[in-house]
Amino acid sequence: MANNKEQTKYQNQIELLQGTLDLLVLQTLQWGPQHGYGIANAIRANSGDILRVETGSLYPALHRLERRGWLKAEWRITESAQRAKYYRLSAAGKKQLASERNRWEQVVSAIAGVLNPAGEASS
Amino acid sequence: MMNPFRSRRREAELDEEIESHLKMAERDRVERGQRDNEAHDEARREFGNVGVVKEVTREIWGWGSLEKLGQDLRYAARTLVKNKAFTAVAVLSIALGVGANTAIFSVINAVMLKSLPVKNPQELVVVGSTTSVGSVSQGGPRKDLYSNQFFQKFRERQQMFSDVYATGRSEALNVSRQRENGQDASNPGDTRGRFVSGNFFEMLGVRALIGRTITPEDDRVAGGSPVTVMGYGYWERDFARDPSIVGKNLVINGSSFTVIGVTPREFFGDIVGRPTDLWFPLTMQAQANPGHDYAKDSSTSWLLMMGRLKPDVSMKQAEAGVNVIAPGIFTELFRPTQSPEDLAAIVKQHVPVSGGARGFSRLRASFSGPLLMLMGIVGLILLICCANVANLQLARAVSRGREMGLRVALGAGRPRLIRQLLTESFALSLVGGAAGLILAAWGSRLLIRLVSGDGPLQLEPRLDVWVLIFTAGISIVAGLLFGLAPAWRATRMDVVSSLKESKSGQADGFTRAFGKMLIVAQIVFSLIVVVAAGLFIRTLRNLENVDVGYRRAGLLLVRVDPPGAGYNDATINELARGLIEKLQAVPGVEGVSVSENGLFSGTNSASDAKVEGHPPTGADDQQNDSDRVGPNYFAVTGSPILEGRGFGLQDNESTPKVAVVNERFARYYFPSANPLGRHITFNSDGSDGKPPVPFEIVGVVRDVKELDLREPVARRFYTPYLQHQEFDPLYSANLEIRTNMPSAALSKAVRQAIHEFNASLPIWSVETADELIDDTLVQEHMIAKLSSFFGALALILAAIGIYGVMSYITARRTAEIGIRLALGAERSSVMGMVLKDTLQLVAVGLLVGVFASVLTAKLFAGTLFGLGVFDPVTISVAAGVITVAATLAAYWPALRAARVSPTVALRYE
Repeated sequence: MANNKEQTKYQNQIELLQGTLDLLVLQTLQWGPQHGYGIANAIRANSGDILRVETGSLYPALHRLERRGWLKAEWRITESAQRAKYYRLSAAGKKQLASERNRWEQVVSAIAGVLNPAGEASS
Repeated sequence: MMNPFRSRRREAELDEEIESHLKMAERDRVERGQRDNEAHDEARREFGNVGVVKEVTREIWGWGSLEKLGQDLRYAARTLVKNKAFTAVAVLSIALGVGANTAIFSVINAVMLKSLPVKNPQELVVVGSTTSVGSVSQGGPRKDLYSNQFFQKFRERQQMFSDVYATGRSEALNVSRQRENGQDASNPGDTRGRFVSGNFFEMLGVRALIGRTITPEDDRVAGGSPVTVMGYGYWERDFARDPSIVGKNLVINGSSFTVIGVTPREFFGDIVGRPTDLWFPLTMQAQANPGHDYAKDSSTSWLLMMGRLKPDVSMKQAEAGVNVIAPGIFTELFRPTQSPEDLAAIVKQHVPVSGGARGFSRLRASFSGPLLMLMGIVGLILLICCANVANLQLARAVSRGREMGLRVALGAGRPRLIRQLLTESFALSLVGGAAGLILAAWGSRLLIRLVSGDGPLQLEPRLDVWVLIFTAGISIVAGLLFGLAPAWRATRMDVVSSLKESKSGQADGFTRAFGKMLIVAQIVFSLIVVVAAGLFIRTLRNLENVDVGYRRAGLLLVRVDPPGAGYNDATINELARGLIEKLQAVPGVEGVSVSENGLFSGTNSASDAKVEGHPPTGADDQQNDSDRVGPNYFAVTGSPILEGRGFGLQDNESTPKVAVVNERFARYYFPSANPLGRHITFNSDGSDGKPPVPFEIVGVVRDVKELDLREPVARRFYTPYLQHQEFDPLYSANLEIRTNMPSAALSKAVRQAIHEFNASLPIWSVETADELIDDTLVQEHMIAKLSSFFGALALILAAIGIYGVMSYITARRTAEIGIRLALGAERSSVMGMVLKDTLQLVAVGLLVGVFASVLTAKLFAGTLFGLGVFDPVTISVAAGVITVAATLAAYWPALRAARVSPTVALRYE
């Protein structure tokens, strides 16, 4: 039972982060192949420790993106001689990144528009 | 994805991926200065629940299509098991529909589609007739049936085929097995023999199961090789599969034959529907059929021919090739006996060539039409079944609204739900189809028994690949038919309202309209089937009541084989007189006569004759049916003499030659004059050197049906039996016996009397006129029986459908009915309301159905007799029956509606 509850919790978070997390993962991988642990660290570091990606969201996202053909995966050895699964952007992934960025920017500007309506004072 | 190995590998990769994540996190922590075990624990804490992460990640992979199907099937099975009543009714419906279709199809497959169980059947080509398996014809040549002489020349000269074999019919075979202690007679007359050329088995690639088959060596010298090969069925039936039969002798029609082998079980011969019991070399025909030497000269046409195409020869080329050499052979064989004009006409005839893969069959031509008709009927029945199941599903779809709503709310997409519901339908149709297959295996046997008794159709409709494909195919189509609309309906919903909807659920407009549409459709289909059944039954009645022109009741017809007992031209009249005298003395016999062909014996003669006072006007002008009949023939059969007199004992060898003609003959040749006293002269080729003798017409007899109930009677003349002394090899004699006793009792006494007269005279048959006439109605009986059976089935299924829909609709209207009753409506008016609803649908269905049934009847108009495609009697009876059935079906739902208690009904909401 407890197990089930937790699973539901993660699922909800996937739901919430979906799209955004995809964008973050794709963006992170723009700089080169990386494994799941590295991606999580990169997102945390680049967001100034604000965005912490739950593994329960990250791994499903990685596998989903791989399934969609946006990521390619291969096994490599890290500098510390650890075997790890590296993900990199595919050509389709690069296109997807561009379109997601685009959409994100639209959303941001739309939200900004709502928060700071230009004609608020006059109307 | 469906590969378990691949999915296991993916599982291992996921484990490793997570493991490496944890290790890297741990190492980082150690590098930052944490202690080993602290770093280990913290890395894991930060990661979270490994099991859950794995699980949610795995979800992303999704189910493979097969895994999904498995899941759907499990779910479907659970749902179906939970709703036992629904499942039982649905499966039964489908099983009936699919079973009926499979049964008919397996017979169609066996009769019309299946290839012979021989080597490369697709290379086989029939030259001439594919149907005349029992025919023999005496006189001029035929383009479709050949003499021994023709076959030998053809085989030598042809270049299109790697080889050609010939096969011919046999007269009745009387087989007895030689035993040390004498002879043990088996049933006379029901053993089916074929004569085949020596290359028959070799060409078909059939080897003996035990012993050997006939070889070209056995077919070299006339009468030189008394051997026979036995069919598996006969071996099993009469010899209990005794392997020691090989090498033993059988006495067949008085001559001894050695059994040299038995053929394998699957090889029934080259004739579909009539398995061969014994094969003999062509050269043994005269020995196995004493008195009937077909090979004597080229005037006896009796052989069918089958060739095997050379690899680079097409059917078209073969046909052209055959027609290049056939005229030459005809000319050589018939120049001595035929006039130049006749010869020219013969040579011009085109010899047909057709595919031989499916063998020869007399049945195929005559049963194809009826079988296709039955296929159409059972197709309609399947539609009725589908409508029933669709109705049930639809009703269930509405009550499952909440379940569907919940599943949509939980994130199931509509396509996924439709797929789920269709899986349920397919599960139903597969279970129903499997049950139908079992039903069919049993049903097709029953069908064949029902159709022909031990009669003409002897098949073993095995469940082969094609039947299985057919069954699977119609099951799937049926599943789609009854599953799609309900699935569409069930998933077309708006989540919120379906969850809010009360448990009872209102039948929405779609469901009601669709349900009603299905009822109308069922009425239409059942009307078509019931009307068809009615038309066939009335056709049969009309045929049975045809006035044949003589008294059918109390007439016994006996067929004997004088040449088989050594009688010849000189002694045949002695036999006729002796037999008549002997049989007259049998108690219960009122009169006896004899004839060459007689009534419904299956044989007929036609003669060219010049009629005095009538100059010939065309080719068919001189051709008339004819028969030779004995003293008192017309009195014994009960055909009224209209003018003049019939034949008596005085019309014999030593008195002037006389003839009796039928009405049609008299009207054709003497439209205004009196035929009595005029003369008929046979056209003779003059080959026997005797001048033709004229026969004086002394009487006119009523038109009599002698061959077929449907065909109009042809012009016919009769001459006295005792005034002829030359007979051909086809000759047999028919005795007509008038009696006032039950024929079963008499037939034994008659056999006994003939046996006493001459124990060696073969008796081919003793049957009543009614039996013989009825034998010609086998197909009509079959169609009438089967279509009535299917008509009843259609009616029952449609009634079940109406009952279901009306129950469902009235149950959904309980509240409304409750209000009506509370407001003071009479219970009888509530009942009337439900019945009226039903009858409205029935009326619409009948209206459409009448048009549809008339259009359908046009397809089989040719098989009807004495009525048209629009038969008011049949249609009104069918409509009446359907109305009654529908009313009965709606009666219980109506009664239940009328018994609704207003208070309960109102609380129900």
